[in-house]
Amino acid sequence: MLLLQINSIADALNSSEWVFPIAECFHIAAFAWSIGLIAAVDYRMLGFGIQNSKPSEVLHDTAPWTILGLAVVLLSGPVLFLSDVRMYLHNSSFIFKMCALAVALVFNFTVHWKVAKSDTVSPPVRVVTAIVSLALWISVVFGGLFIAFV
Amino acid sequence: MLLSFAQWIQATAFFTALRGSAYAYPIVLSLHMTGIALFGGMVLLTDMRLLGLAMRKHSLADVVTRFRVPKRVGFLIVATCGLLLAGSKAEEYYYNAFFRTKLILLTLAGIHALVFRRSVYANAADMDRAPKIPAHAKLAGALSLLIWASIACMGRGIGYIEPPLDKIHAQIQVIQETALAAFHAPAALLERGH
Repeated sequence: MLLLQINSIADALNSSEWVFPIAECFHIAAFAWSIGLIAAVDYRMLGFGIQNSKPSEVLHDTAPWTILGLAVVLLSGPVLFLSDVRMYLHNSSFIFKMCALAVALVFNFTVHWKVAKSDTVSPPVRVVTAIVSLALWISVVFGGLFIAFV
Repeated sequence: MLLSFAQWIQATAFFTALRGSAYAYPIVLSLHMTGIALFGGMVLLTDMRLLGLAMRKHSLADVVTRFRVPKRVGFLIVATCGLLLAGSKAEEYYYNAFFRTKLILLTLAGIHALVFRRSVYANAADMDRAPKIPAHAKLAGALSLLIWASIACMGRGIGYIEPPLDKIHAQIQVIQETALAAFHAPAALLERGH
């Protein structure tokens, strides 16, 4: 039953040759957007970027836009996924990407935000958090791209 | 000439190896994507600040100058990987409409940078003293967003077209053979006359 339903969604998505490419354009533009903005906070935590402002201020100013970007990514992603569920579920890179994405999201809204918001945290903690954040998001990007190659 | 250059460069040992490698090619592509995030994010932030949409508490000078280095690092990554990718499939891309459009848009981005460099990007401190963000700065931000977003979409489009190289090669061969035959025809006629 569920499978039938998924198939009908896939048919609807695949009925137009434009749905997938357009969803993909949104997906790419929005991931560049959100990861780029997260990177701006990371850069500040690493000691470059906007030095006149505290990390908490950079985070405060970018957060609404980051969340908007993530929302677009997380809405366009399932459209791509639903177009060929079976292929994605059997794709090891896709599985890796989903795991990395889950960790990256949780990390971003817990540790990363907490450290970025705190102006009293010690510099090494700040640097490590920024590096982990960048590494997690970059691994999500790699996971996404390798879907087409595994 | 451009076509033979494209054929030559993709036939070099380096690009042949890159194209054929199961890991190098997707890794370069992934790094290209990472560069897009790092460069695109910075472009976006700068442009949104110019439009007065984001980071309004930070001065223009702060945003424009502080993000210059990360932006350039991102650009270096994305451009280097882009050249590697283009080189390894140069002949195919020569025929690719999305690739051609992307090159035109990249040229536009270069012109945009030249046009607005003095009045906007190197002039942030002056603009901060103005009561409002000048109209030409907003125009620069909006155009930049439009151009770079289109470049990203065209880049994605490249993957959707696969020019039929085999067919093109076969056609070129037919044309060459016909031309060659036409070229030799008068001589053959003369010979027969003797």
